[in-house]
Amino acid sequence: MKEVKLFLGPQHPGMHGNYSVHMYVDGDMIKKARPTPGFLHRGFEKLMERRLWMGNLALIPRICVVEPDINEMVYAMGIEALAGVEVPERAHWIRMMILELGRLAIHMMAIGGIGGPTGMYTATYWGIAQRDLILDLFEKITGARIYHMYIVPGGVRKDLPEGILEDVTKVLDQLEKNLPEYEELILRHPIIHARIKDNIMLPESVVWELGVTGIGMRSATGTENDLRKVKPYARYDQVEFDVPTATYSDALTRMQLKYQEMHQSIRIIRQVMEKMPKEGPVRTNFSAGSALRFTVPEGMVYTAVESSRGEYGYFIVSDGKEQPYRIAVRGASYPQGLLGIEKYLTGYRIDDASIWMDTMGVCSPEIDR
Amino acid sequence: MTNSMSNWIETLEKDLGVEVLDSPAKLQYFIDVEHTNVHQTLAYLRHVGFTQMSLLSCIDWIEQGKFQLICILMNWENGVHMLVRTMLDRENPEFTTITDIYPGAVYYEREIHEFFGVHFRGNPTYQKPLFLERWDDMPPLRKDFDPQAYSDSKFPRREHPHVFKTKVVEVTE
Amino acid sequence: MHEVQKNDRSLWEVVGDYFRANSIWMKWYCTGCGAIEMPPTMTSRFDMEQLGMGPMATPRQADVLLITGYLSTKTLRRVIYSYEQMQDPKYVVGFGSCTLNGGIYYDSYATINQLDKYLPVDLYIAGCMPRPEAIMNSFGELIEMIKKGEAKGWKHYKENHEWYKANQMDSLGEVIIHDEFHE
Repeated sequence: MKEVKLFLGPQHPGMHGNYSVHMYVDGDMIKKARPTPGFLHRGFEKLMERRLWMGNLALIPRICVVEPDINEMVYAMGIEALAGVEVPERAHWIRMMILELGRLAIHMMAIGGIGGPTGMYTATYWGIAQRDLILDLFEKITGARIYHMYIVPGGVRKDLPEGILEDVTKVLDQLEKNLPEYEELILRHPIIHARIKDNIMLPESVVWELGVTGIGMRSATGTENDLRKVKPYARYDQVEFDVPTATYSDALTRMQLKYQEMHQSIRIIRQVMEKMPKEGPVRTNFSAGSALRFTVPEGMVYTAVESSRGEYGYFIVSDGKEQPYRIAVRGASYPQGLLGIEKYLTGYRIDDASIWMDTMGVCSPEIDR
Repeated sequence: MTNSMSNWIETLEKDLGVEVLDSPAKLQYFIDVEHTNVHQTLAYLRHVGFTQMSLLSCIDWIEQGKFQLICILMNWENGVHMLVRTMLDRENPEFTTITDIYPGAVYYEREIHEFFGVHFRGNPTYQKPLFLERWDDMPPLRKDFDPQAYSDSKFPRREHPHVFKTKVVEVTE
Repeated sequence: MHEVQKNDRSLWEVVGDYFRANSIWMKWYCTGCGAIEMPPTMTSRFDMEQLGMGPMATPRQADVLLITGYLSTKTLRRVIYSYEQMQDPKYVVGFGSCTLNGGIYYDSYATINQLDKYLPVDLYIAGCMPRPEAIMNSFGELIEMIKKGEAKGWKHYKENHEWYKANQMDSLGEVIIHDEFHE
């Protein structure tokens, strides 16, 4: 049969974000696939060299649109490490709460996202609606729905508003009540099972070859390779949580791990609210002189946090001036989004390509930057 | 933990004949090597547990006339990040691919070629464009590239007329 | 009763615009980060369908092209390609400050600064990023504009085709999309 060249994306409802996979297909079998990134390329790494350290705060959340808080966290951690600043105790706990709320939001988005390629739009509607409640919490805490710019070098921008803990508890209670229903409807649904079970496999050897981290790695290797456990930042060493793992990584397993991680995130947030110091400073002012034009001592550092897709890191180089000398971004979905698609999408069917994008968690803006 | 860690670093220093430098962050170390020794170092590190390559990146030290390649490795067993650094000549930046040690590096090398113009011998695809399309200037992440000038020459900007209406308010008692 | 403004439209166009305004298909193309606010707008919380709008996968059946945020040159080629595939009448809505004046990426080497040099924009939504309420409000505004016959960017694109093409060529070099396998 003749091979046909097919463009999946950038303008395609099954494609998450502005990303494209071009492939040669035989029937509906993918013979050869090539990822095409760059549609969202804005030149962040260049722009960040041109902005002040403080001005970059507005820029960095936009690198990963669906999960912006991790950007702020790695940036702040990097500057704090270079400048040797101690973050106030309360700020650590607030940061953890924000990060875990962000993780809940993106996992809800992923559960909603699986509705698109599998044709079960109920999941989309439910997931997105549930995520919106978390965005409302963000709005109360930080003032913005998507880009919060809340975690700043030296702490967090402002203290939590009054009565927010009750609101968070309310949302968590409601989410916890709904989660079994989501599992019943989405993860045990025959349609979803037929489409994503034993599909888009990720063997352990491929994990080590590509360098996949996060849920992809944990679902294939059965190891608790989570940066929150291996290399705890903030106060993750003072809360109890489990890292869900599996040894058989198909699309369904990865969705189930996302689902289980949501339970753990809820557990972490509840502990944070309990153990957090009730009052105290939330921000260290470490700059001499103007707060907007502070300088960072010379040096280079790599900081990484566990995002929903894996290790997300910034490599920050400072030459002691008011602007960073170089910042390199390690997008967590770089391995599975580029080399993974090129090498391991062959042999699947056309409609499975978007399941790859969703369950591997390919986030195009962080690849393109 | 710390004791075994320092033992481990001593073994590393002895075997590789390099100095392991501390970094500002915890569980993170630097190794500076000549660019001819990078592959040997990486192969050794991969053997001792640094199975994951997190990032391959480049810095443009324009005043020294050098490019610095950084390879960030991660050992999941003890959570150590190892940053292997090497200097390349800025005039004629050439390096041999590390894809035979870390296959995941293939797209990072392509990106570094696109953004810095470093050539990677042995990587058959590194010269293909990745993020940019029809790029017609020097590699954009080099320090002497001015994005503002490029943007001004290519993309017209909206002109905002700065008209401030003044209105005289008479105060009457 | 709506006061029918005829402008320069024929009676059939007035009638046509009235019906078009109540059934709008929005093209599903996430060109930038503003697209993250589209799912809440489309789904049950804000519910775009109450305005008679729905997402449409193919450009040939869509009426509205949403430019959700910044446009890199690589995307702009595809956007122009898609826009020219859409059938008349077609409307363009620009999201956020990036389409207005480049926004936070004013000095980026990869993104354009002003969208209406390349495509006829009927409506801009200010903000970074626009909230779902703002998006819903702008859709209401767009419907009013269509009813009144004010959204005629597509006519403007036809009449000033040379001007638009010249601008596109200046910034993009060429709009033709080549083989992306690079093989």
